[in-house]
Amino acid sequence: MPKQEMPSGALTLLILRVLRSGALHGYAIAQRIHVLSSEVLQVEEGALYPALQKILLKGWATSEWGVSETNRKVRFYRLTPSGRKRLEAELSGYHRVHEAIQSVLRTA
Amino acid sequence: MNESFRRLRYLLSRRRFDRELADDMVFHREMAAREGKRNFGSALRLREEARDAWGWTWIDRLCQDVRYAARMLRKSPGFTLVAVLMLAIGIGANVAVFGFFDLMVLRPLNVRDPGTLLRFHRRAPASYAFALPYPEMAFFREYSRTLSAVLALNFTKVAVEGEEKQLDANFVTANYLSELGATARLGRMFDPNRDEAADADPVVVLGHGFWQRHFGADPLVVGRTIRLNGKPATVIGVAASDFSGLSLKEPALWAPITQQPYFANGSHLLTDFSVESSGVQMWGRVQPGLTPKAAEEELRSLAAELHKRHPTEIWEKESLPGEPGGYASSLTIGNRRGTGTGTEERDPIYSVFALVGTLALLILAVACGNVGSLLLARGAAREREIAIRVAVGAGNGRLIRQLFTESLVLALLGSMAGLAVGYAVLRSLMVLTGSPAWLDPAPDWRVVVFAIGAGFASAILFGLMPALQAGRQRHRAIVTRQVLIGAQVAASCVLLIVAGLLGRALDHAMSTHPGFEYQRVVSIDPGLSRYGYSPARAQAYLDTLQSRLRALPGVESVSLALVPPLGDISIGAGFGVDGHDVNVQINHVDPQFFQTMKIPLLRGRNLMRGETHAIVVGESMARRAWPGQDALGKKVALGEGYTVVGIAGSARSAKLEDSDSVEVYLPIETADLPSLFVLAKTAASPEDLARSAVTVVRAIDPNTFPEVQLLRTGFRLKLEILESAALAVSLLGSVAQLLACLGIVGLVAYAVSQRTKEIGIRMALGAKPSQVLSLVLRQFSRPVAAGLLVGVGAAAALSQFLRGGLYGISNLDPTAYLAAIAVFILTVAVAALLPARRALRIDPLRALRYE
Repeated sequence: MPKQEMPSGALTLLILRVLRSGALHGYAIAQRIHVLSSEVLQVEEGALYPALQKILLKGWATSEWGVSETNRKVRFYRLTPSGRKRLEAELSGYHRVHEAIQSVLRTA
Repeated sequence: MNESFRRLRYLLSRRRFDRELADDMVFHREMAAREGKRNFGSALRLREEARDAWGWTWIDRLCQDVRYAARMLRKSPGFTLVAVLMLAIGIGANVAVFGFFDLMVLRPLNVRDPGTLLRFHRRAPASYAFALPYPEMAFFREYSRTLSAVLALNFTKVAVEGEEKQLDANFVTANYLSELGATARLGRMFDPNRDEAADADPVVVLGHGFWQRHFGADPLVVGRTIRLNGKPATVIGVAASDFSGLSLKEPALWAPITQQPYFANGSHLLTDFSVESSGVQMWGRVQPGLTPKAAEEELRSLAAELHKRHPTEIWEKESLPGEPGGYASSLTIGNRRGTGTGTEERDPIYSVFALVGTLALLILAVACGNVGSLLLARGAAREREIAIRVAVGAGNGRLIRQLFTESLVLALLGSMAGLAVGYAVLRSLMVLTGSPAWLDPAPDWRVVVFAIGAGFASAILFGLMPALQAGRQRHRAIVTRQVLIGAQVAASCVLLIVAGLLGRALDHAMSTHPGFEYQRVVSIDPGLSRYGYSPARAQAYLDTLQSRLRALPGVESVSLALVPPLGDISIGAGFGVDGHDVNVQINHVDPQFFQTMKIPLLRGRNLMRGETHAIVVGESMARRAWPGQDALGKKVALGEGYTVVGIAGSARSAKLEDSDSVEVYLPIETADLPSLFVLAKTAASPEDLARSAVTVVRAIDPNTFPEVQLLRTGFRLKLEILESAALAVSLLGSVAQLLACLGIVGLVAYAVSQRTKEIGIRMALGAKPSQVLSLVLRQFSRPVAAGLLVGVGAAAALSQFLRGGLYGISNLDPTAYLAAIAVFILTVAVAALLPARRALRIDPLRALRYE
């Protein structure tokens, strides 16, 4: 399957979305997105970690120490209330734009 | 927790955050590897990209650049030393000037709450005075509701037993010391409730310096009795060493103002409403929450009220503008007063600062020009290094930033050295001129900020162009250097011309007759107004004094004047003639004045005794007011109006240094009698006359203590100021010229080495030495000529500020300009020819093989 390029804003939205169901470590975030997108979307380190740093800076998530499935001490990222709010806002914005594009595609 | 706070927290624990990020990424790769995926990106680079989100990467780059710059500068200590030294001179000159400005204008005085202090002076449409009569001040003090405190200060000299000269005593309101936050070194300060009472005992507080000098810092001085003008008073305390109050010079002692008449026998200070009274300087503190405007409004209405009761002494429409009083500059305003429609004589302090500051900036410009040339030369030498950096991928912006960082580091070093140089210069100047010890020239935060700012600005001046050029990998160094040389030439040319003007002024002042006699004249201030003499008593006293002086052997002529020549008093006035204002220096004199001062009466007649509305004007004044007309018989709209009866030779006895100043002489008014000076001319030694005059004065009234001064001394004092100014500017000019010449030497040498081959070919083809020289020097003649033109123009414009201080030399004096230009061309020619000679010694054969 060919890799799909992802717009940078979309990556933040996806990260926030996969974190909604619970704290994850970096690799797991990438994996989760990969799997949930039916292996279409591939998140590279070079994109993932800058996005995560930005999320930390904005305060949408915090990091905490946890233990990985391989028994290694590793950082987990957890959504904060403000991150949750941000996610809602981005989702509703995304839906609006998505629907608008869809209706154009359907009728034009 | 907001974003900037998180950003800051990141900065503070950057190492931990970085480690965590690295750990995340290592883990990521471990996991990927387990699943058989591989990643080839550089971990370090990826990490840096991720870190970028926090926005602090510039700090890392900066640190890197600074470290590198420091290494580069350490590697060439000679270059670094020369560059820092030049910058230190340039920045140091500016730091010294700004430091003095800061001291005088920006830094609050060392008194309590200086920000709320206002200094008041009197102003009416046609008059102004910087001193108030005591009763007027007392009236304001009693009725003002907008001022929380009113402070007054009167300067009176007193004779102290065991001291040769009279000492400065500050007579002050009893709240003065406590209101200004003075602390006692010994004993106590004045108590407003106790020491200003009518029946209070006479007490004094000693100044720290006087206590050390006169009493040998005796710790048991409190309680002792000292005699001032022969009157006993008890010492109640000694002020701390850092307190000087509101006078530039630390006084010997303070005493309650209510006791001034006790010490100065017969003084009417406390009751005298007239403007002739020596009066008091008045300060006030505005009530918290009120503006100075409110206080001025209130004082204006109070003055109107007082005008009803004293219609002649308090002026109509009198107002009392208040200026910030908590700064040293407000202390330099003395007790000047003036009448007429002229504007107030303001302190020349700002124009002096403008002039000196510009000169200092010129020095900095020259220094920057030189450092810039050095950097360019270095840039050429570093071409290889820069080419390598470009080859391994340094971007243009990165390269320029790096080179500019080097300049910034240099500038910062220069700032620090300049701070030290500036402090040393200012300190030694202040010690030389005998400034008060409490004016501490140590740099405060403003001076430090200024020095760093000056360093930054000079880094832009000298560093940006070379950096841009090296960054662009373009080799137009010669053009840039020509611009730099032109700027240096212009700057040092200005300095040389100003130095030339001051030198000419000094020469002129010493060799030309000032229009009046000063060598053999002594001025005697019997100080009658201090001792409460009425005009009638003063008349009798002065008559006796004059006849006794005339009887002394050698005395040729004795006269009276309100303003002693060459002193530091002047009375300015202005009046309108045919729609334009004429500003004059006023003196009230008796008929003998012209004979004593040897000022010739050119036309008309002398003043006559007892006359009231006659005026004698100086010739230059007549020419200025009534050009092309006969001044005799003209009316002068001063005060009650005067008629010109005589025209005297032009003399500048009050303001010797200002060639624009013109003088008029009015008859003596009865009210002025107690304030008069006596002038005596002797055929013998004026020193002897000065000595015998003291004896004569004391014999008439043993209560008085006269001040006697030789006019010669006053003349010398005035010239000393000019002399030190001329010396300082010449020094600055020579430094600038030396720097500019060094720059030219380097530039010409560089040009010769660059064109060795070409010169060799030309010589081989038969070029004459003169042709070779002109080939090398042609490219410099233009920037030097352009710089010279700009410099002369700038000097002509700048020297406008000097006009009032050139003793009659025009600020466009051709001699000064030509001399400066000659010195300039000569030194530049030497600087250019020395290295250019090398071009003539080039051996064509060897030159062609070279390279």
